[in-house]
Amino acid sequence: MAAKTTAQPHSKQPRLLILAIIFLFFQAAALSLADGTRLHLEYLKPDWMTFVPFLVWLGAVLLLHKAVRERLPNRDPWVFPIFAALVGWGLQTVWRLSPSLGQKQLGWFLAGCVFFWLGLKTKRLSHLLKRYKYVWLLIGLLLIGLTFFIGVNPTGSGPQLWLKALGFYIQPSEPLKLLMIVYLAAFFADQIKPNITLLGSLLPTLFVTATAGLLLVVQRDIGTASLFVCLYILMLTVTTQRRRFLWIIPLAAVLAGIVGYFVFDVVRERIDIWLNPWAQSTGNAYQLIQAQIAIAAGGLAGTGPGLGSPLFIPVAVSDFIIPAVSEETGLLGTAAVVLMMMFLVVRGISIAQSAKTTFGRYLAFGIAAYFGLQTFIIASGNLGLLPLTGMTFPFFSYGGSSLVTNLVAVMILLKISSELAPEPLPEVVRKPYRWVAAIFIVLFLLVIAAGSWIAIFQRETLLAKPENPRWVVYDLYSPRGKILSQSGDELAITTGEAGSYEREVLMPALSNTIGYTSGLYGQDGLELSQYDWLRGYSGTSYDTLWKHQLLYNQPPAGVDIKLTINTALQNSADALLGDAKGAVVLLNAATGEIYALASHPYFDANTLTENWEQLRDDKDAPMVNRTTQATYPLGTLVNSLGLATYYNHPQSAKGSLPEAEGGQDAFCKAASQAYGGDLNGYQSGCEEAALNLIQNLDPEVFVTQLEEFGMFDAPVFSLRTSAPTNKTDPALLETKPMSVLEIQATPLQMALIAASITNDGMLPSPRLRNTWQAEDGTWIPFKEGVLPVQVINSIAAQRLRKSLIGSDDAFWFQSGHAQTRDGSILTWYIGGTTEDWIATPLAVAVAVESNAPDLAQKIGSSLLSLFAPD
Amino acid sequence: MSATVGLVLRVLFLVFLYAFLGLAVWMLWRSVVSKQAKRGNLAIPSLTLISETDGEPKTQTFASVEILIGRSQECDFVLRDSTVSSKHARLYYALNQWWFEDLKSTNGSFLDGIRVEEPIVVKDNDEIYCGDAIFTISIKPIEQ
Repeated sequence: MAAKTTAQPHSKQPRLLILAIIFLFFQAAALSLADGTRLHLEYLKPDWMTFVPFLVWLGAVLLLHKAVRERLPNRDPWVFPIFAALVGWGLQTVWRLSPSLGQKQLGWFLAGCVFFWLGLKTKRLSHLLKRYKYVWLLIGLLLIGLTFFIGVNPTGSGPQLWLKALGFYIQPSEPLKLLMIVYLAAFFADQIKPNITLLGSLLPTLFVTATAGLLLVVQRDIGTASLFVCLYILMLTVTTQRRRFLWIIPLAAVLAGIVGYFVFDVVRERIDIWLNPWAQSTGNAYQLIQAQIAIAAGGLAGTGPGLGSPLFIPVAVSDFIIPAVSEETGLLGTAAVVLMMMFLVVRGISIAQSAKTTFGRYLAFGIAAYFGLQTFIIASGNLGLLPLTGMTFPFFSYGGSSLVTNLVAVMILLKISSELAPEPLPEVVRKPYRWVAAIFIVLFLLVIAAGSWIAIFQRETLLAKPENPRWVVYDLYSPRGKILSQSGDELAITTGEAGSYEREVLMPALSNTIGYTSGLYGQDGLELSQYDWLRGYSGTSYDTLWKHQLLYNQPPAGVDIKLTINTALQNSADALLGDAKGAVVLLNAATGEIYALASHPYFDANTLTENWEQLRDDKDAPMVNRTTQATYPLGTLVNSLGLATYYNHPQSAKGSLPEAEGGQDAFCKAASQAYGGDLNGYQSGCEEAALNLIQNLDPEVFVTQLEEFGMFDAPVFSLRTSAPTNKTDPALLETKPMSVLEIQATPLQMALIAASITNDGMLPSPRLRNTWQAEDGTWIPFKEGVLPVQVINSIAAQRLRKSLIGSDDAFWFQSGHAQTRDGSILTWYIGGTTEDWIATPLAVAVAVESNAPDLAQKIGSSLLSLFAPD
Repeated sequence: MSATVGLVLRVLFLVFLYAFLGLAVWMLWRSVVSKQAKRGNLAIPSLTLISETDGEPKTQTFASVEILIGRSQECDFVLRDSTVSSKHARLYYALNQWWFEDLKSTNGSFLDGIRVEEPIVVKDNDEIYCGDAIFTISIKPIEQ
């Protein structure tokens, strides 16, 4: 048997190894071009440093290959090439995530290679391992014990599981895993069946495993402790050939989970995250959520080496390296890694079955199980299949102790594989090995299935989550579309160079409408609501989009959009409102196109980062867009609405329209004086006129009319609007007629109502977006789905305008005031054009957060008369 | 340019990665097939079982390496007797010998009056009781 396989490794191993070298070379080469690709360079500018891990790996692996070939001619032909491919890929991944850690990892790899080589050279290694089993075990336990006294954590906080020696950090639990396997294998191999009872073989090993496990649990290294328990049970299963032991693993896991949940905070936290990660997506589950989004971002074939953003996963380089691999090489890459680990595990178990000695058999099995368990536990934790336990992914994760241990384990496995038993084992003995191999295959396939679920089926959902921060990177490398005024003036543009693009708002006073986009603070305003257009997902041909995603992993340059904003009117509105707090909305009464949207005080999106704290804490709320988000009480503007109801449903009124007495209260007196002294009580917003009017209306009819005006709905708009107020109970109006003055409305809502009065009762839908520029340069109107609604009949609108007519027959208006919840006074002004106006029909709403009827009237009337079509 | 070359490299990476995995699997497949072929060619002393249940003699010769014995129709060698378990025992060839293993049957298996607890080596002319059923093993040595 041994003689027959001699010829095989020589031909097989180099072929596999050559393929591994080729694919890793291509990965290194792709990685070297990543920066140039992100910048869309037209020439090749490789970053030669990315070849460092490849070349170091290549040199070391070729030397080891030579040594292995000479010393172990009959070895298993798969183990070495697969190990080499995995470790090479791992080194490149760590380097890509962090070149400085990559350098350290290369150092550890070379140290591991030295151990590997020394191990190969050591004759009777197996004998030494077996003979001094208690020495190895004690060394391992002592090192763990030392962490209790001189343990440190390289990051400065967290569990102190490391030892520091000569400037290096060593995590003793990593070598302990291997030492434990050696001990168990040696112990079980010494048992001669007929003379030893089950209890006799169980008790000492159980004691040792429990001791090691307890030490780790006390040190809060629950991951390694659970690995030990699983490893022990698997070894017990094959040595005793009792399948039922396998059931202990899931039972113990559930039991440990339940007990741990109530005893350890760490365990409870992990289980809570596992059960519902989205509940704490920005808190404890942040890492897991980011890992899942990274896997989704990778999709099937990945973004390409160096083109993804796996560094959004905190500490991706250690426990979460597989999601990082997933983002850049996709499901195909991750599945390949898992399949390689599966291959290694299955080969390991196969080596165990044909090992020459019993010790070799158990040792090889232990090593295979160690690789298998470690891979499954961390991969399923990354994918959310199991609660996360901190553990390294073999050969990949950053960490010297783990890498060196992995290398030594592979060396031992190779040594065992080179000495075969002369005859195959009896079927009975082999059976448990097959069960375990089958279980690992199923578990690994499960991991791949879970990966597919995230990368393929959950992809769109996960990428659309607000927790996905990749748009920040896209903004750096691909310009957002411009935001222009109706006539093409630039309002917001992208400046700078690819790789460091920045957004600049050229009309800072419009920041509340345009919004902001910031890696730190997110997005708001049009930058948020028009993201798909500005970022190029909408308005770009599928070809362009697809090409950019494939080549650069970036969306294409964004689409420019024109707003309905008229720069001159917007500037006037801002100038007129000045330092006063409040809002102005000016719109085309027929089409709903918004010409000016002023909200004061405003913030400057260009200095957001510098002023964030101050802006956020400012009690004047400069970040709130008052036109759509401020909910002001209606106050005596109710006069217009009451009159509209009366004219629209005269038959339902309780009597004829009461005469409006003017100048009864101080506020309406001031409003009347601001105008010139001859306004009636309705127009100047007198409370008495309001009361008389409301009492004269049927409450049911009135509330229905208010509803038709859209008082209880948020308008469909491209900016975030405040939640609508609840519909008023008509019965309340019977007992408390003045409660209608407390109904809340936004300036935008009032401007739309004013528009319906101007527009013969047709309430338009507000429009802020005008056109977008297609790839061929043409400007295409946005399709706005909502049609104008008839809210009062045209005769009622006409009569209303007439009763609110100003000194110039071309305009109507009403002044109003309201008392806000904190007792301060709010001044309203709504107005519009009449049939005597020959140009575009207009409507305006002004709200000033003080008692300033003269200012409100001045703003409103000036804006109406200033209007000149572009 | 950079992006196009990068894309080609990415595709080559995936192609060779899967070529690597494919070759590994193919090699494994070849090795399993050749091992089976070797096992197939392995000279196994042919085994004949003779039973006399219900007064009817029954002789069966086997070429396989494993023979399942029991009451069930699925078994290679069926013993129709109520004291025989459905999968009672098995014979297998390992380490150049034929082994007999009781599969935890209800009534047990006996060789020379001793209950079989562990797999045992059997030789030509051994008589084995499975419950009340009895059969004789005949092993023909390999013809060199």
